[in-house]
Amino acid sequence: MGMAEEIVTQPNYEKLCSTILNSSEHIRFTGFVNDKSKILHSAQRDNLDSLLSDHEIGMSIHYTLERWRKAQNFTFRLGKERLTFTEYDHVTLVTIPFKGKLLLVSTEPRISYDPIIEKVNSILTDWEKM
Amino acid sequence: MENGTITYVQSLREDLGIFRVTPENGVPDFKAGQFLTLGLPLESKIVNRAYSIASSPENKKFFEFVIRWVRRPLPGRLTSLLFNAKVGDKISWAKPAGNLTINNTLASGEKDTRRIVCIGGGTGLAPFVSFAQHLHDTNDKREIVVLHGASYVDELSYKQLLTDLENESIDKGKDKWNFKYRAAISRPEEWTNRAWNGHKGRIEQFLRSNDDGKSPLDELVGEKITKDNTMFYVCGWQGTIDGTMDYLKTKNFVTEKNKREDGSYEVKFESYG
Repeated sequence: MGMAEEIVTQPNYEKLCSTILNSSEHIRFTGFVNDKSKILHSAQRDNLDSLLSDHEIGMSIHYTLERWRKAQNFTFRLGKERLTFTEYDHVTLVTIPFKGKLLLVSTEPRISYDPIIEKVNSILTDWEKM
Repeated sequence: MENGTITYVQSLREDLGIFRVTPENGVPDFKAGQFLTLGLPLESKIVNRAYSIASSPENKKFFEFVIRWVRRPLPGRLTSLLFNAKVGDKISWAKPAGNLTINNTLASGEKDTRRIVCIGGGTGLAPFVSFAQHLHDTNDKREIVVLHGASYVDELSYKQLLTDLENESIDKGKDKWNFKYRAAISRPEEWTNRAWNGHKGRIEQFLRSNDDGKSPLDELVGEKITKDNTMFYVCGWQGTIDGTMDYLKTKNFVTEKNKREDGSYEVKFESYG
C-alpha cells in the first residue's frame, strides 16, 4: 500500500533567481523574500562588492517589506501593486510582488529600465504558467 | 448615545494607537472586560463600532482603548475616522456592555479563588489591562497571569504598565499582590524584533507541554495548570481562541458556552475575528 502524498507546487526560487540575474548584464542582485522577511533564495553577480553589510541588508529588506505592506492598504482603491523603483546614486532597487512573495532586483543606476522590466515580467509570467 | 470628547491620542505605530474618551457627564459604572460602542459622524450619519475598554472601572476620569487600524481587505469606517481624529473632537458613546467579565463566584456559589490566566492576542489585550488594574485597585488576592501575543515588539502596547504591576508584585510579596506578565512575539526573525529575547511563537504555546510534561505556563506559576486551580479568559482573533482551546480541551477544560450540567466551566472568551 502506498501512502497518499500531498504535492505542493512551489517555484524553484534558485533557478528563477538565476534566470532573472542572467537576463540582463545590468542586474546586480535578485532575490525573493516572504512576508516574514525570510530570504527564500538570492543570487548576486560575481565580482561585485556588496554595497550593504549583512546588518544593513536586513534593515533594507525590513524597509522594503514595510513599504510593501503599507502600499497594500490602498489595494481596495488602486488595485494590486505591480512594481516599485528606488533609484539611488549607486544602485537602483526594483520590487515586484510575485505569488505572495516579493521579488527584489537591484540594477546599475541610470540605465534604460524598460527592457529589463519587460524581460523580468516575461520570465515571471512563464513561471506562473508552469 | 451619550456625548464625550477625545482627550488623548497616543500613536504607538502607524496603525496602532491608544485613545481616551472623556464623557461629558462622567464615566458610568461598568465591569472590567466590557466594551463600549463609540460613534462618529460620517456623511450625515453616525457610524458606530464597539471597542474593548482598557481602563478600569475605578478610573472615573476617562475610558481608554487600544485600537488597531486594520485596512485589509477594507478599512473599517469608524476606526479610520478615529485615526484621523484630533484631541478635542466630539464623540458619542453608548453604555458599556459585554460578558467577558471576571467571575468572582463558582457555579456552586462559593467564592472563586482560582488563579486567573488572561490570554490576549494583539489588541485583545485591552480587557485584561482593565482586569489587571481593577484587580489591583480592589486588592484582589488571586494570582493573575497576563499573557500577550503580538507580531512585533512595538505592538506590546501595555508592556510598561504590566511590567510595573509585576514589579510591584515582586516588591510587595505575592500575599499582597500576585501578578505576572509575559509576552510572545510571533515573528522573531523580523528585523524590528531583532532585540527580542522573550518567548517566541504564538501566545497559546505557553500552554504547550515540553518534553518533561510541563508547559511554560506550568513553570511560570510553579505547578500544573488544572481546571480546579485556574480560570482562563481569552480575547483575540478566532485563531487565538481555537489555538488555546486545542491545548485546554485535552485537560478537560470547558468554555462558558459549553458549560457542564452543574453550570461549571473554566474558560471565557471573546473573539473579534
